[in-house]
Formats: sequence, C-alpha cells, structure tokens
Amino acid sequence: MIGLIVRRLALLPVLLLVVYTITFMLAWALPGSAVMSDEGRAPPESVRLAIEARYGLDDPWRFYTGYLLSVSGIRWATETIKGAGGRPPEYVLDFGPSFRYEDWSVNELIGQTLPVSMTIGFAALLLALVIGLAAGAAGALRPNSWLDAGALALALVGISLPTFVIGSVLLIVFPVWLGWGSIGDWGGPGSMILPVVTLSLPFAAYIARLTRMGMIEVLGSDYVRTARAKGLSERVVFAKHALKNAFLPVLSYLGPAAAFAMTGSFVVERVFNVPGLGQHFVDAVRSKDLFVIMGVTLVFSAMLVVFNLAVDVLYRWVDPRIGS
Amino acid sequence: MGRVVVVVLVLLGMLAAAMAGDRRGPRPDLVYIQPADVNTLDPQRMSHHQDMLICYAIFEPLVVWDNETFEVQPALAERWESSSDGLTWTFYLREGACWSNGDPVSAEDVRFAWQRALLPDTAADYTALFFRIRGGESFFRFRSAQLEEYAKRPDRERTADAARAMWTDAQRAFSEMVGIQALDERTLRVTLERPTPYFLDLCAFASFHPVHRATVTDPRWWSLEPETGRVRERFGWTKPPHLVCNGPYIVADWRFKRRIDLQRNALYDGPHRGICDRIRALTITDDNTGLLAFETGAADWHTDLRVAFMGDLLDQKRRGERDDIQFMPVFGTAFWSFNCEDRLADGRPNPFRDPAVRRAFARAVDKQLIVNAVMRRGEQATNVFIPPGSIPGFRSPAGLSFDPEAARAELAAAGWVDRDGDGRRENERGEPFPTVELLYTTGGYHKDVALALGGMWERHLGVRFTASGRDPKAFKDALRRRDYMLARGAWYGDYGDPTTFLDVHRTGDGNNDRGYSNPKYDELMRRADHEPDAAARMRLLEEAERMTMEEELPLLPLFQFNWYSLYRPERDAAGRPVEGGVRGLSTHPRNVQYLWKLQLVEAGDAGASAEARR
Repeated sequence: MIGLIVRRLALLPVLLLVVYTITFMLAWALPGSAVMSDEGRAPPESVRLAIEARYGLDDPWRFYTGYLLSVSGIRWATETIKGAGGRPPEYVLDFGPSFRYEDWSVNELIGQTLPVSMTIGFAALLLALVIGLAAGAAGALRPNSWLDAGALALALVGISLPTFVIGSVLLIVFPVWLGWGSIGDWGGPGSMILPVVTLSLPFAAYIARLTRMGMIEVLGSDYVRTARAKGLSERVVFAKHALKNAFLPVLSYLGPAAAFAMTGSFVVERVFNVPGLGQHFVDAVRSKDLFVIMGVTLVFSAMLVVFNLAVDVLYRWVDPRIGS
Repeated sequence: MGRVVVVVLVLLGMLAAAMAGDRRGPRPDLVYIQPADVNTLDPQRMSHHQDMLICYAIFEPLVVWDNETFEVQPALAERWESSSDGLTWTFYLREGACWSNGDPVSAEDVRFAWQRALLPDTAADYTALFFRIRGGESFFRFRSAQLEEYAKRPDRERTADAARAMWTDAQRAFSEMVGIQALDERTLRVTLERPTPYFLDLCAFASFHPVHRATVTDPRWWSLEPETGRVRERFGWTKPPHLVCNGPYIVADWRFKRRIDLQRNALYDGPHRGICDRIRALTITDDNTGLLAFETGAADWHTDLRVAFMGDLLDQKRRGERDDIQFMPVFGTAFWSFNCEDRLADGRPNPFRDPAVRRAFARAVDKQLIVNAVMRRGEQATNVFIPPGSIPGFRSPAGLSFDPEAARAELAAAGWVDRDGDGRRENERGEPFPTVELLYTTGGYHKDVALALGGMWERHLGVRFTASGRDPKAFKDALRRRDYMLARGAWYGDYGDPTTFLDVHRTGDGNNDRGYSNPKYDELMRRADHEPDAAARMRLLEEAERMTMEEELPLLPLFQFNWYSLYRPERDAAGRPVEGGVRGLSTHPRNVQYLWKLQLVEAGDAGASAEARR
C-alpha cells in the first residue's frame, strides 16, 4: 500500500509537467493580448509592450520556463537560499497574478474559490451516493418492477437533462414561486442546498445504474445462493454480502467523479452564483488570463491524481484481495 | 459496513465544519448587484464602471461632480483658484481631512497619485488624461526612454542599486518637469500644458483620486525590480485590511466574485457623509440569476442589467405590470467602424478608404428600423457620435440621415456603377464591389444588427455581404490589426468635454481602431487644443464633429446607448413614496452614481417629499 502511494506521488510531477506543457501550448495559441482588457481604454503601445515583456509574454520559451520555475517552487527555493538582494516570492508555489482581476494573485483566487467548490462537491457526492445506492439497490431487488422503472426514469433524467435546465427549474420553483431560500447571496447552508442537489443528480444517476448492474450480477452469484441456503435472512444477505461487493464499481467511479465535482462546475456556479473555482476554467480562457488558465488546470490535474489515488487506497481497504 | 459508516461520518463532519465557517451576517442597509467583480480598487489603474462606483465611495478627490448637473463641488479641496490664463490652478485642501488610519491627507498624497498615473511602470489605462498637465507627456516619455535604455544594459549592470539610482533620477525629473507641486501640507499647485476648460471636471474622475502614499509604497508591495529597473507593485494594498482610504466609506470585506462590504468611514469629516451605514455589493455574473435575485429581494438595486429579453421587460413596464426596470440614455454611442486604411489586411484595395463610399453606406442605413425592430429596447437612433445635449455649450450637427436615393447617387458618383448589367456594381476598371465583410462580437445582439445592416446595404446599394462573429479577445485583436472591413464598436465618454469622443479620430490615437487619418482633422483638433477662448474652442470642436459625421464618416453611428438597471422608484405615479425604493440615484447621461447619496425609502416615509425638495 505504501509502495503504491509513493509510486503514484512520484509520478505526479511528471504528469503535471505534461499537463503544464500541453496547457501552455493551447493557452499561448489563444488570439489577442493577455494583458489588455477587451473594453476600456488602450494604454499607449509602448506601455503594452513593456507589460508583456515584464511577464515574459514576448518570448514563449522565457514564459514557459519562468512560470515553471515559480509554479514548481524552485524559484522560491533558490531565492530563499540566495537570500541577499530581492525579497523571496510571496508563495512557495507561486501561480502568478491574474491579468483580469489585477488586485488578486492566482493563489488567492484558488484559495478563495477552491474551498467553496470542494464543499459543494463533497456534499453533492454524498447526496449522489445516498440517492444512487438506494435507487440502484431498489431496482436490483425487484428488477423490471415499477420501482425499477421509476429509478431508471430518474437516472435518465439525471443523465440527459443538462444542469442548466435542472438548475433554472429549481431556481424558479423554490426561491421564486415558493419563497424558500435565497438567490445570489452566497453564505450559510441554506444557499448550498439547490446547487448541491443540481450538481448531484448526474452523479446519482450513474451511481444508480452502476449499483443496479453490480447488484443483479452479485445476487445471482454462488456465494449469495450459499448465504441464502445457510438460512440467512434476505436483509442480511442483501446488506452484508451483496451490497458491499456491488459497491466496488461505484467506488472506482468515485475517483474521477470526486475530482470533477470538487473543482466546480461552470454551469452550476453560474446559475446559482456560487463563488467557486469552476467559472475560472471558462472565464480565464475567454479573457486569455494565462496565469489563471495554467494555475487552475494544474490544480485540477493534481486533484484528479490525488483522488484517484485515494480511491485506489480505499479499494484495497474495502476489498483486501486487490493488491495483496 | 462499519468502516463505510466511519467514512461517511467523517465526510459529514467536514461538510458541517465547512458550512459553519461560511455564514453571512445581517442584511446591510443597501445591497446592490454588480454583474462582474471589481477588477481593481486602485484608482489610477481602474477603467470599469463597477470599479469606479466603489472608488467614488471610498476615495475623496479634490472636487466631486454634482451628478445631476455636472458642475463641480468642493470635496477634498475646500476651495481653489485659477490664474487668469487658465494655466495655473491652486487647490487648498480641507483642514482635518484624514485617511482611514488617521493620517492627514496631504497635498503630497495627491501629487504622488498623479505621479503614479504618469509612470509607464503603473500601466494606467488613463495615462493620457494626465498629459494635459505641463510636462506630463514629456515625463512619461522620459521614464519610458529610461526603462528602455535600462533593458539594453548588460546583466551585471542591472542591479538593485542601479534601479534605485535610476528611480532617484526619475523622481528628480518629475519635480523639474511636471507642473504638480505640493506647496505645503494642504496646498497643491497644478500647471497645465495649455488651457483646459474641463480640467476641474477631470479632477473628479477616478484616475485623479489620491492614494495613501505610505501604504502604496510599503515594502510588502512596492519594490524596484533589478531585472527591468521598473517599479513593481503588488496589489495587496487594495484589499482590506490593508486598504487605506479617505472617502465616506471604507471597505470592510472583499470576497472575490462574491461580495464587497462597505462600512461608513468614522473618520470622514467632509461634506459627503454617507447616509447608509453599511452597503453591500453582490457579484452575480449570470444575467438571469441577477434578475431573479433582485426579484426575490436579495438586492435593492441591480446596477447594470443585460438580459436578452429586455424588450419583454420593457413591455411589462409599459403595461404597468412592473415598476422596477429603469433605463436612461447614457454618455455612449453604438456604431460600426469602417476600416479606413488604404488596403485591407490581406492586401486587397479597400473600397472604404473613400469617404464617399462611407457616406453612401451610412445613408443607406435605416437606424430607426434597427432600433425599433432589432433592438426593441427603447434606444435613441443617432446620426452623430457625441450624444446630443450631453455636453453643455456643445451643439451637435445634423449628421447624415437615412436616404437610400442619395446613398445610391453617392456610390455612383464614387465610381461604383453597374457597368455590365449583372446587378453588381463595378469600378472604372470593371472590378466588382467586393463582398462586404461585417465583423461582430459573439454574444448579445451584435449579430442581429450585423445581419440587419447587411440586408439594408444589399437592398439599397446592391452589394453582397457576409457577417462573421468572433469572441471579444479575437475581435479586439482583429481590430488592432485592421483585419476587417466593417466592425461593430462602442464608445463611452469619460469627462464632460467633446474631446472625450473626438480624440479617437486623431491620427495614431490608441483607440483609433479605424486607422483613420486626416491632416485636416488633426489640424482642427490642434487648433482647438490651443484656443484660449472656451466658446471659440467649442465652435472648432463642433466643426470637427460635423466634418466626421457629415463628410468623412470614419464610423457610422447607430444609436445612443441606454443603461438598464433594476430598482424600485422613490415614489409611484401618484407621487406617494414607495417602500424599498432607492433614493439618490442620478439620471444624468454621464451615469455617475455616488453611493454616499443613496438611501432606501422606508415604510411610512413622510420625509420623502421634504427631503427631495431640499
């Protein structure tokens, strides 16, 4: 187990370097100037060129290596060791400034928005698990019954209806028609309920289908027949023997799902005005905010790797046969 | 199963902890919605509407506008005088004016802020406004040259000491060259390059607000970069708790893309004390969500509404079903730019280099139809660039109105006639008029307008057209490279003088996206620059507007922008106070709102009428 963790974490920098390089190439190719706002006044041309030079935007290679040094913490390390002269950078892993939101560093942006996205993502996954497992198990227990059909219908809706439709409908029904909850003013558990429900539905749908499939398969297996033959009650057979094994495919789905849910969804964040990280994926690309694009992508990739690792560790814990 | 329960319990615990730490306080006295977060609270660097709204509340400039008449009133400066030639201005600062940390506001703070605006290091959007001050432009060039020279030095000569020495030189040059002097703690003398009748008006603009020198130059944020020799500022000082301001409000909290909380500044003793104790700005980027948030009472005022179904909302208002959507014409014009270069970006000859062709295209556009049938939002169609009536003393010309007959004649006179009877126009060499390419930004109504324009030119002039959209970054880039034939455009004025519009037609101006260049126009503007008599100067500027709108047409004006916002009016049609209505909002086209003037109408508000009459 320790070996697995060490190996995966050792691989992380290599992976991030690859992601960094690809993101850099794509972001660099975006049209337009990164340092100029689309509206507003144009400062003199010499000023624009000077700012671009300041951030290494005049030379792709200089930008690539310069940002790599600061984002990886190497610049921090060398400048701390050198000591004399300038001050060491503010952050160990310095993601740079935001061009659009000039008063904020990308570190601050991520620091303020990532916790929000993670909270919502966490809650959405938990809710998805509860709904998904219950619906899946119910469907497996009585296949082709109205209960199964109902669960299937719910799953279809969850998967195929885009979140902006579900989100808008929820917004209209609850805060606008019924007067429950508020819109726009983020803070407190109340404002979290609707975005969490919206975000959880697609995940719940997948989990329900995975659980149902796994359950039906497991319920037909020899050891379940043995358990029944031993005279165990159907409840014990179901909860203790079948559900646990049917859960394994769900678990492997949870890794990427967790990373996706917790780094924020652009649509859910926009519709419910959640101050999360997801919007930066889209907004930053639109305004060619290079440091934000790179920083957010790196954080997302790192999270994806870490969550997959966590799932693998959990996997072994739940099912000791794997990896031993 | 026990293990799973443990995991779930741990996750639930973390969730509860996260929720508990994210609570919102009681509702402030006034909540407004801004559709985008503030880009910066640094007055010298800002250029967005939402930034300035807060700037005007937390910083106090020398003078402020009366935002209904746009005359200037004392603020930080309690009085001022100007020399008879209008070149020297002396401002006397209010005694007792202090920063939110207790330091007195000194003339030096103003001088420092204005110096920042002039430094190429700061990269301020509005640097050019400070070129009206004597030596401002020379200093900007001096420092730019200094930095360029420094960049060429070998590595070992680019040290912290060298950068410091160069900075000392720049400081000395500033004192010698630039006409901004702090005569003593409370007296500021400004000398201008040439008479600038609107100089006081400029002094109320965001870029001219003072900043607290000691905070901005705190070594935590301010340093000289040995590699480039330039001043490097990290913008930590613009966020609470570091932000030090001198206006009626202070920033109590700023959560990114979430909210900004303002609190009345207890140390402010000037003439513009805020009425509300606490004001909150909510950032809601989605237009529909913003509207719903307003409708469910999350906010009292939505500052800038841009929903796609605006026409329906306005219909509802017309039918008396809602009273909360407001609009007013503002200090900005929607137009389409003609590429005025001799050749297009791909080397083809440009038919629009000929003013006659531009005039023909302008005359073939039925602007009223576009406003009524395409926009459907109550805008005012216009034939001129400067919104008529928005600048006292300036008379707008008539411009070119819709006249398809005249348009066809104009185009034929320019040599474009159908010579071979195939329905397309050719020039003398028999080359057909090229397909007109219209470039617009994706999102919003621009595509509809482009198609309407193209249709009109097809119908009235017999030319073919294509329209293509780009997203804002790519669009801006195409404009800069002049890689277009016709492109949509928008311009908002900054200060109350025609030059805030007319400057964009000057040869080489940074905002002259059309590449328009006409020595006659430049000469006219130069004469206006040096005209000491205010009335005679206005006549010159009127001629400049007439020339560009009736003869030259570097751009084709369509309509004056409307500004849409949501708030309940102060009183209803019968004149009774409306509970929850917002009092103190200006309806002047310049659209400058002062948060310190705002107040909600409370239930049984008898003082409403008395207050308004006062």
